Amino acid sequence: MRLKRFYAAFLPVFIILLLSSCFQVIEEISLKNDGTGDVALTINLSQSRTKLASVMLLDSIQGYKVPSKAKLQQELNEAVAYLKKSEGISNVKSTSDFNNYVATITFSFKDVSNINNITKNILARQKIKGTNSSSYSYNKISKTFSRKYQAVSTAKTEFNKLKNQDKAVFNNATYTSIYRFESPVITTSNPASNLSKSKKAVMLKSSIIDLINGKVNVSNQIQLSK
Amino acid sequence: MKTAVEQNFITLNLSIMKKILIAISLIFIFNLAHAQDLVKKIPADAFAVATIKGDNVFKLMFVKDFNESFLGKKLLTQTSKSLEKEFTSIEDFGINLNKNMYYFNQVNDSITYNCFLIPLQDASKFEGLINNKNEKINTVNGIKTMVLPDSTGLMRWNDNTLYFVAGSIRSSFFADSAKSAQYGIKDIRYQNSYSEEAVTDSAVVDSTYSAEDYPAIPDVVTITEQPLKIQKKNSTQIKKKHHAVAAKPSKKKKAKKNTAKKATYKKKPVQPKEVEIDNYEADTVAKLPIEMETYTTDSVGESTGSYDEYLDYQNKRAEQEAKKKRLAIIWINAQADKIFNTEYESISSNKSYASSLDDKAIAELWVSSLQNAYSSIAPEFGTYGKANIMKGYGSLTAKLFMDQTSFRISTGLELAQEQVDSYKKIMNRKLNKDFLKYVDSEKAIGFMSYSIDTKAYLEEFPKLLKQAYGPILGTKMDDEMDLGADLLTLLLDEEAVSKVIKGDALFVVNGLTTKDVTYTTYDYDEDYNQTEVTKTKKETLPDFIFMFSSEDNRLINKLIKYGINKNRVSVNQNIYKIEEKKSPIDIYFMVKDGIVFFGSAFDEMQRISNNQFQGAISKQHKSLLANNNFTMLFNSKNLVGKIPDEELGGAENAQKLNSTLSKMGNLYIKSNPIKGNVVSGEISAEIPNGHENALKYLFSLIENASK
Repeated sequence: MRLKRFYAAFLPVFIILLLSSCFQVIEEISLKNDGTGDVALTINLSQSRTKLASVMLLDSIQGYKVPSKAKLQQELNEAVAYLKKSEGISNVKSTSDFNNYVATITFSFKDVSNINNITKNILARQKIKGTNSSSYSYNKISKTFSRKYQAVSTAKTEFNKLKNQDKAVFNNATYTSIYRFESPVITTSNPASNLSKSKKAVMLKSSIIDLINGKVNVSNQIQLSK
Repeated sequence: MKTAVEQNFITLNLSIMKKILIAISLIFIFNLAHAQDLVKKIPADAFAVATIKGDNVFKLMFVKDFNESFLGKKLLTQTSKSLEKEFTSIEDFGINLNKNMYYFNQVNDSITYNCFLIPLQDASKFEGLINNKNEKINTVNGIKTMVLPDSTGLMRWNDNTLYFVAGSIRSSFFADSAKSAQYGIKDIRYQNSYSEEAVTDSAVVDSTYSAEDYPAIPDVVTITEQPLKIQKKNSTQIKKKHHAVAAKPSKKKKAKKNTAKKATYKKKPVQPKEVEIDNYEADTVAKLPIEMETYTTDSVGESTGSYDEYLDYQNKRAEQEAKKKRLAIIWINAQADKIFNTEYESISSNKSYASSLDDKAIAELWVSSLQNAYSSIAPEFGTYGKANIMKGYGSLTAKLFMDQTSFRISTGLELAQEQVDSYKKIMNRKLNKDFLKYVDSEKAIGFMSYSIDTKAYLEEFPKLLKQAYGPILGTKMDDEMDLGADLLTLLLDEEAVSKVIKGDALFVVNGLTTKDVTYTTYDYDEDYNQTEVTKTKKETLPDFIFMFSSEDNRLINKLIKYGINKNRVSVNQNIYKIEEKKSPIDIYFMVKDGIVFFGSAFDEMQRISNNQFQGAISKQHKSLLANNNFTMLFNSKNLVGKIPDEELGGAENAQKLNSTLSKMGNLYIKSNPIKGNVVSGEISAEIPNGHENALKYLFSLIENASK
């Protein structure tokens, strides 16, 4: 009780220290020539772990309720359960590490288009508004993989509604996508993406703020050799 | 029908009025001594009084400086522009800037008056602010009066005093039909008139209704020019009045009656003129639901009809509101007559008010009694109002001081004797002087201390609890409250507890330390294969010491032993560490010389343990901590440049924050010792060097903020 009062009194100092935090979102898709493949999603908050540990001691911060570890685990479990029921999805696994604040979900798909609605629905279930509209497709015949991404204006509006101190949370947050293929890549349409030495992987790194503001587009049209 | 010219004049006047009011309130913020002080004009029963001391304000800032300040210029140019006159100094407003200006509030059961008493230097200059058209100004024996165009208040002045009063009728008063009936006012609700009108839709009822309702019978009390149009209602209202004296019907009941009454019209088109209220109620209330239903089906599909009904409802309501307004201005006028023309006992004879005054304050606020205040507004809270949760709380005072070094706001609250006795016992402890050795004023970013007598606290707590919550729970819970209090006393050995935790504690943030922390991230090879790697980064964490006095360490020692057995505590020499991996900060603790220490740095704990800790407390901090039961200090300057830029979201943000922090002086809050029946505290903010005084600093802040 007393400690809480002290926390409250020195909250300004703590808030200054909490101003910026980093997190990484990594999306890795390995696509086979027949159109099946695997996805690995990673959310890594480990760079902010001391701050998160402090935040977890509080009931709420900057007006947001701090979820308990149990609650976070439950949300992750729900996401897994949802994936298992989804069409074309199999082999769903998840890991969570609350010491380092890293969570991963991996699964296999029959067709890359199976992923399309998943992220959207999971986010909608979590009541996260205004995410991107994103879709994947693979044409087995022409051997083209494409990711279409359209920044949604509501995301930007919602983001702009946040207080500056809340926006700061996203300052150093990054989004990385890695696509792996069995055949070498001939061309990529997005100039921000890089091709690996083996020409079988494409990586695109961007800041989450740029994504929200629509400054960066992660759409990509990747042509594989036939 | 008003002519267009008249209309224009009213609109013009309204806008000018607004501007004058803004100007007055602006001046009021910065205003005004003693000879012939207007305080004599404030009635002894004023509920709240606010004072702005012109002479104290203009000691800090000459009128000339004010005129040349950003705010002053803005005020002058805007007034000049809106009144199409040239104002070069606030003295041109005709206000006496060297005297006190007052605001006071007077409340009774039916109306609330908000009043300003402003000393005038030059009444003709002041009149210059009110436009030249004198039509609206009444002059009687050299006293001029101007009623606000919307009739919500008036201004009255002579050569040396301006009195402005605005009144607002209290809705709770007129919600009481017995009272409002005295003034010929009725409570109009949409549903009432809605159903009323629905009934008139039917031709048979219509005639009856109007025949009954509109004979012009003289009103009971005639303040309004028009006699009231209701006769039957009048008679019922009079009856209701008697009824009300006996039982005070609630709003709800009244509303029901009204609706019910209309419903009955429908049922029995020919209603006897006089109805005994009690029978009437029993009869109609029982039938209400069914009749309401019938009525609904009746009116469905008559959308135009219901719009007319709504218009009619609005008209009726507006009519009642207009009556209230006319009544209010009559009352306001009478109040102004009293204030302006008569002698009466003034607030200065009120002991509580007189003792709240401080010559050095720039502005003061005094509220007569929280207990009374609560009772006076309680009717508007409905049932919750019945319990006076402010019981025992007396007058509240707040004073603003500005001087060469700081802004200071001090507040005081008068308490009932038994509360004061409790608090005096609780507050009868000073902070352990040994704590002061561990404060380094040069480095400290902040501290917070409190000292209470735990034993007295535990003994008085049940009493205070009962005082605070007893009224809310009502007398029904008295026995339970007593039982609870006794149980607590039985379970707790106050004496023993007070030996473990004596009741004084100090929390100091002596600085910030950087610490290497590890985190997980990923490296990618040339084929973008991911490998998990652990990297380190520096993080800044507050470096704190928390200490409290304890005479009896047996319990703490047992806790330590238990912690060690359960591997929750580790020990190094005599310093213990709490083994909690999730904690962002390492927490060490130890017991030494009757003090339990908690701290974030092992080496610091070691220095304390070996008597090598070098604290250096400033005189100011020492007296702050030693003399007050509760203190809090924040020294932002000691934070400047201590936090790495990258943790503040980049160099630009960091620079902004550091520049703000370096401009802020010490900020502190403290409680004062109880004096008489008054508990008080103050909050104080020092101004940075390079500013003449707090007022000028404030002006510079406003100027900067508006750039």
